[in-house]
Amino acid sequence: MFTPYDYNEAIGHRKDAIDERLREGSPVVGLAYEGGLLLLTVRRAQRKIYEIYDRQMFSAIGMQADVENIRLAVIQQAHQEGFERSPDDVSLQRLVGFYLSPALKKAFGDQWQGVPFVIRALFAEVGRGKAGDVFYTLNYDGEFRQSAGAAVIAGTQSAEDRMLERIGEPETALTREEALNTALLAWSVGAREALKTRRKADRDDYDEINPLRDLDESEADRVFLRDELKTGTVEAAVLERRGARESRFRLLGKDDLAAITREHR
Amino acid sequence: MQTAADLWGLLERSGHPITKALAASVPRPADSHGGPGVVDTHGTTVIAVKYDRGVINVGDRRATANFAVMYDKAEKVLPIDDYTLLAISGSFARAMEVVRYLRTAFKLYERTYLQEMSLEGKLAELAKVVRAGIPEALQGIGGFIPILTTFDRDAGEGRIFFYDGMGARFESAEFGAAGSGSLQIRGVFDYIVKTKKPFHAMSRDEALKEALYLLDIAADLDAATGGWAKVLPLATTITAEGIEDVAESDLRRVVAEIDAASGERIAPRR
Repeated sequence: MFTPYDYNEAIGHRKDAIDERLREGSPVVGLAYEGGLLLLTVRRAQRKIYEIYDRQMFSAIGMQADVENIRLAVIQQAHQEGFERSPDDVSLQRLVGFYLSPALKKAFGDQWQGVPFVIRALFAEVGRGKAGDVFYTLNYDGEFRQSAGAAVIAGTQSAEDRMLERIGEPETALTREEALNTALLAWSVGAREALKTRRKADRDDYDEINPLRDLDESEADRVFLRDELKTGTVEAAVLERRGARESRFRLLGKDDLAAITREHR
Repeated sequence: MQTAADLWGLLERSGHPITKALAASVPRPADSHGGPGVVDTHGTTVIAVKYDRGVINVGDRRATANFAVMYDKAEKVLPIDDYTLLAISGSFARAMEVVRYLRTAFKLYERTYLQEMSLEGKLAELAKVVRAGIPEALQGIGGFIPILTTFDRDAGEGRIFFYDGMGARFESAEFGAAGSGSLQIRGVFDYIVKTKKPFHAMSRDEALKEALYLLDIAADLDAATGGWAKVLPLATTITAEGIEDVAESDLRRVVAEIDAASGERIAPRR
């Protein structure tokens, strides 16, 4: 017989299994700055930040096939909506709230047929004025949250909390350079925290073997980031409020990122 | 698995009318003076010529339905991406849908596959939508003829492609024209190339002036093409730097030069 207890237990198992797979995902930081919005992450190989529509972009952690499926689905939906109605009718509120969220919830909750998505996604949309700027984070179970100023996704809740702590009260008057720097530092805090959680889970003596154990926190963050940048590449993209083109998305190039990567090398 | 970047397929599934030919029972306009039937507003003459840095497109501003002037501020040269313009003639309704379709289809492709659609791919996409309109065109409504111009960044030169009503595509080395006034001026293009110089060797202002002369002749010889007595024509260029509208002050200057050279616009009464 199938009881409510089985349901809760099954959902719990699913949640644990997905959380476990997400834990090592490289965090993504979204920040508002004076000229628009930016997303930043550090990647190994695969590109991670993508344009969705004229004023929308997205990045995610999770299984590559799931991320790609969500990316294609949301791009398709946005373009169909943009053609059948108008580009002005394409909004994250509709895409995330009415299109993606119910589909993720269904896949997550359907124990008999559904295979849940392993994904945690961060969306950004630049408005015509600052008041229209918005971030959405979307979880594998369909839960989503809207925020302004700053948003983050990482492998664990504690990593996300520490990242938001590091960013502090979002300040929208930042220059792009300042925002990139803040985002990279927040990324580093989140990545380190996620790694710590994993190592602690793996070994009881983690605190003793941790190579950064004798450094104070800020110094440890600095050393950690320097090491990460040896093997990883900073990837960042912006949605610029002002521009002649309909499309406001721009993947930042080496030149745009030279200053911040130099500073932390 | 379905093709991810197929806007046409998406629209077919959602039942969007752009993918469907109208039923054969749609009443056909009784005659050219306008009887019962559907009012189908037409764009008239558009011209594209090459010049030394790319391509220039010129169009009058008139849109007509039978003998009525529906609109005298129509824009008939429209960007479909950063380096491609579509100049439209014939049915406005269909052509505008096609412009929106192409813009969206190219963006969908690029965002999905993270690379721009090739020029050949874009030309084929346009042929497909022209072809899809044939059943309507055969009933006397909805037919339109486009000219696609682009700056080919691989070859470093402007290119002009024109189509027939079936979707056949032709590339022109020097110029293209479409719309009701285009037939009347066809020979003039050749005359200019043979007696002056090829368009691709002209400066922008030289090419602009020739194109405006051609438009002026079309307006004289074709009842549906608007002159510039009331509204200035529009001119748009594509170069390696992208698409740019010719400034109104430049247009005014060249139009004034032509008017001055042509003598009195209103001939004295005999």
